[in-house]
Amino acid sequence: MKRNSTTSKIITVGVLLIIALAPLLATSEYMVHIGTLILLWAFVSTAWAYMARFGLVSLGHGVFLGIGAYIPVMLFNYYGVSPWLGMLAGVGAAVLVAAILGYSCFRFGLIGDYFALVTLAMAEVVSLAIVACREVTGGSLGCTLKASVGWASFQFDDKRYFYYIIFVFLLLALYIWRLIDKSRMRLALTAIEESELAASSMGVSIIRFKMGITLLSAGLTAMGGVLYAQYITYINPGTISGVGVSLSTCFKAILGGMFNIFGPLAGSAIMVSLEEYFRISFDTGFLGVSEIIFGVVLLVMIIFLPKGIVGSVSEWLNKRFGVARS
Amino acid sequence: MLEELLMAFINGILLGGVLALLAFGLNLIFGVVKIIHMAYGQFVMLGFYFIYYFHTAWHMPLLVAMAGGIVVMGLLGMLVQLLIINPLLNAPRLNQLLALASLIIVLENLAQVLWGADYRGIPISMPIIQFGDIFIRSSYLLAFLGAIATLGILYLFLHKTYFGLAIRSVAQDVEIAKGMGINPKVIYYITLAAGGALTGVVAAFFIPIYTVHPHFGASFTLMAFVIVVFGGMGNLMGGFISAFIIGVVTSITAVLTSTEVADILALVLFILMMMVRPQGILGAKA
Repeated sequence: MKRNSTTSKIITVGVLLIIALAPLLATSEYMVHIGTLILLWAFVSTAWAYMARFGLVSLGHGVFLGIGAYIPVMLFNYYGVSPWLGMLAGVGAAVLVAAILGYSCFRFGLIGDYFALVTLAMAEVVSLAIVACREVTGGSLGCTLKASVGWASFQFDDKRYFYYIIFVFLLLALYIWRLIDKSRMRLALTAIEESELAASSMGVSIIRFKMGITLLSAGLTAMGGVLYAQYITYINPGTISGVGVSLSTCFKAILGGMFNIFGPLAGSAIMVSLEEYFRISFDTGFLGVSEIIFGVVLLVMIIFLPKGIVGSVSEWLNKRFGVARS
Repeated sequence: MLEELLMAFINGILLGGVLALLAFGLNLIFGVVKIIHMAYGQFVMLGFYFIYYFHTAWHMPLLVAMAGGIVVMGLLGMLVQLLIINPLLNAPRLNQLLALASLIIVLENLAQVLWGADYRGIPISMPIIQFGDIFIRSSYLLAFLGAIATLGILYLFLHKTYFGLAIRSVAQDVEIAKGMGINPKVIYYITLAAGGALTGVVAAFFIPIYTVHPHFGASFTLMAFVIVVFGGMGNLMGGFISAFIIGVVTSITAVLTSTEVADILALVLFILMMMVRPQGILGAKA
């Protein structure tokens, strides 16, 4: 990652400043809401890209989103457990599940698209399990978080609270990305991606490093699930677990460019805005038309911009101006 | 209870025949084009809708409508090859997967726009056959026999015709096939057309059994995946056998518990198989 450090620092600070100041300039609650969604999905897909950029493409992050969203809500609704404890329980459970699933995948040497398909199936298992436990979870009808406003119950009337809380989490995720970049872990995982055999013969513990990045990614993703549930206050297995959300998480990262630290953020901004734009401009009269266009846009982008938007743009800049960029 | 289980077993076998046909198409595409057709079940859903549409809106006789549906699905298969698979032939596997996954979004919503979210079906009453305490729906039996016959025709096509030989040679080794004067692109089109037509055939057999809605296909994509992996990816015989195993296991589990648990069981089998025996039940250790 050789970067022209001053330009990249200016861009970084500029982007973060814009995000930080945006709610002050926003003219409506609705715009803050869209901004919050963008930051939330940016947080989740950044966490997803931790793994994906080292070749561990998971199509099953809905597992962790679902666990993170459902456990705190269930605990709060049924037992009145504080969401702050529920958060720990949700993230803890997701990390535990990630440890079990990850270890079994890595132990049996699942890589590449086999890993992708197995994780996809895991996402569907969790989603079906939530539906199957319908007495507790409300099944496919979903369930609503009991309303109770305030810091103690981690729900707020003003949307800007969540905007900034999620922004802080996104900053954390970006910061961890930088830490990973500077760490031995990055070297080890890159070596493992190149050749597991060569890496292990150099004494790199494959399972340990893969587990490390998986647990980190799963924990943050589950936190994204917690934040989603607290913010939206309604969860449903179709929207927060299962194949749909797993795929849309990686769509976002891939569209933006999963090898670039700002790729997932850019991808989320584009995807969420596109979704909203199409949803509004086609109204209910053409239910589905917006999704068709959305799917076609996705297809076209996957075919013509395989490196993602940030990746393609920086490549173009590189060619055009000869700037040393990642 | 025992009769119920026996009936579930028989239904599992009968449905297994149709699932075998579905898995065969997915397997063929994977074996030849080396691509995982994520939207395969959605193709069945579209095929169902086309047959329904031809029959109700254009008043075609049912059999003609079915033939029409099969042809349209074959053409759609070629269209997918032309517009999506061809540009991505040398792309990373992941991009191919995701492109076909976004096709799911397009197809499901297309069906919703064209035909609405309601359940649609062609009401056909077919007799129920009774053996003692056992009842068998003749629609299941017909689908099973039809699927087996179709598989037989496919077998003959693959083993007795020039195109079948060419398809098998491309599946084995593209470079050598090229050396023998086979254009793999043409073979890919034929394979996708055959795979698409197969979804039309499956849809035709499903007409008397199910009603269709835009998300009808998802569970069949999943089922076909499970079967293909269970039998070993690219292994047609393995897929055939595992279709019956999976059909019976899910059918009996669904009777004993619920359909969700049956699906979970199938998926868990899939995950375990991928981990422990990725070559499938029949495959040799790689």
